[in-house]
Amino acid sequence: MSNHYIISVLSEDRPGIIADITGAVYELGGDLAELNQSILCGYLTMVLIATFDDDVTASLLLSRLEAIDSPTSYDFIVRDIAAPDGCPPSGPPDKTYVMTAQGRNKKGLVHGISSLCYRHNINILDLATTRTDDTYTMILQLDLSKVVAIADVRAALQELAAQSGLQVMLQHHDLFKVTNEIPL
Amino acid sequence: MLRSDQILATVEMIQKENLDVRTVTMGINLLDCRAATVRETCRAIEERILERAGSFVETCNLVSRRLGIPVVNKRISITPIAFVGAGFDRDGFVELAVALDRAATSVGVDILGGFSAQVEKGMTKTDREYILCLPEALAVSEKVCASINIASSQKGINMDALALLGRTVKDIAIRTSHQGGFGAAKFVVFCNQPGDNPFMAGAIHGVEEADTVLNIGVSGPGVVARSLERLIDSRNGNGQGLRLDEIAEEIKQTTFRVTRCGELVGRQVSEILGVSFGVVDLSLAPTPTIGDSVGEILHILGVDAIGAPGSTAILAMLNDAVKKGGLFASKTVGGLSGAFIPVMEDAVLAEAVGRNELCLEKLEAMTCVCSVGLDMVAIPGSVDADTIAAIIADEMAIGMVNNKTTAARIIPVPGKEAGEMVSFGGLFGASPIMTVRNVGKSSRFIGWGGRIPAPIHSFKN
Repeated sequence: MSNHYIISVLSEDRPGIIADITGAVYELGGDLAELNQSILCGYLTMVLIATFDDDVTASLLLSRLEAIDSPTSYDFIVRDIAAPDGCPPSGPPDKTYVMTAQGRNKKGLVHGISSLCYRHNINILDLATTRTDDTYTMILQLDLSKVVAIADVRAALQELAAQSGLQVMLQHHDLFKVTNEIPL
Repeated sequence: MLRSDQILATVEMIQKENLDVRTVTMGINLLDCRAATVRETCRAIEERILERAGSFVETCNLVSRRLGIPVVNKRISITPIAFVGAGFDRDGFVELAVALDRAATSVGVDILGGFSAQVEKGMTKTDREYILCLPEALAVSEKVCASINIASSQKGINMDALALLGRTVKDIAIRTSHQGGFGAAKFVVFCNQPGDNPFMAGAIHGVEEADTVLNIGVSGPGVVARSLERLIDSRNGNGQGLRLDEIAEEIKQTTFRVTRCGELVGRQVSEILGVSFGVVDLSLAPTPTIGDSVGEILHILGVDAIGAPGSTAILAMLNDAVKKGGLFASKTVGGLSGAFIPVMEDAVLAEAVGRNELCLEKLEAMTCVCSVGLDMVAIPGSVDADTIAAIIADEMAIGMVNNKTTAARIIPVPGKEAGEMVSFGGLFGASPIMTVRNVGKSSRFIGWGGRIPAPIHSFKN
């Protein structure tokens, strides 16, 4: 039997964080499955999945991580999960769309878009937002597999665009792949 | 995972730069529709078009909605009608035009091309009847476009046909004088006409093609213009240190992206319809919309007036870069593939005509290095038939000698003189009427008839 854990890490960014975390995992005999990290305004956040022998408990793993000698402070969450091969296959689903929304910055823009997605049963696979001067830009990768009529989504987006002053575009992921990648 | 800047670049192309798939054109073979009578043939043609293209427009719209990219025109090209209607007379061909118009309307396409003949070496009796029918056929039909191939690099120029066509172009314009001679905007004369060109008015479904084929026309002068502006702007706002090879590279990369969109749409539509995918025609085809002009690109690249010295060299570079970018992006490339300079359809070119910056002779020189020839050129209605024939002959000679496609779509606007405006609206655009110099001085040449022999294909030093 093995234990599978998902580990979440938050820290001020500096060189050596991934070496710290993976070093701790390695010392406990862990096998790293997947890792994803992102940096925002000087802060690093990371999630990783690792598999350990059954004698490595969640609390043992957490205490080993917390024992890392680091000039910055770490926040960890460790959770038990099912075997990683139970995760959905990687690669975007067939009905993956890219939505971009740009407009003057004001409160509630991301909430407006994400609520609309929720109402139409659209799962947000990835979201990145940036603010330059007074312009707010959102780029969302969306799974529309559960959407029956894309025309309804477009109509709702148009309404939202009119209300919020955002310029919203929704296009299939394939379009971005073919214009930016060599293989077709 | 795609990067944010890549995503935003693609979105900009569609949202602000007029990126679209200009046309999806379904080529349909009609050779076996010939029946014992004109009426039966018309019925067979209409049934064939309905059967093959019944769900064509709907499918294009579906793919367009799914991907989020506009597909502007949905069109049909057919086997050159003179082959299908072999043996029919002038009235028979007019009936065929009416039937084709009806079929085009019933399946909802914008335009149907292929009301055509191929006479580069000689004319049959049918071909002569076909030519005679053109003024009437183009007046009584709305969506039908006609074209005729009268020259090729292999066979030379059929000057007998050419002499007839000078007269025909005038007659077509006169027969549609209530529309400013609009009929002539639906008729093109070709040298080396390709059988897989999806763009109108010269699209045909060549006899060398399979039963049904889907060809895609991508465009995007606006996308190229904006990308060049961005490139120039990125160098201190004035293109400091920028050199022409870098500019050519930018055009190449932009064309790659544009072509890819066409390829994607084409593959999806052909898969849904179960029709074989033909070619992507990667052309810079302007529209009268502001910001969708080839002339504007010439301005950006450094001539302050279209037609000024340097215009031909810039156009040569543009045309070549478009081909290089597009060829790598698509599995199969065909059709015309190059930069178009249709005067009436390009607001900046039309403006240059109005300012006397662009004359017919310079336009002709520019057609030596790009697609597709003297296209959508409005001339005074008073210009005689032989002069029109001679203008066309010059353009055919350029194509013949240079082994390229050239075409002439000349509109002698009835009752109007040089400098006056003519407007057809929509995609056909508007422009001032161009001056034709040396009118009436080519009749002896046209009077010879016969053929200009094919040029030598060796000893090219």
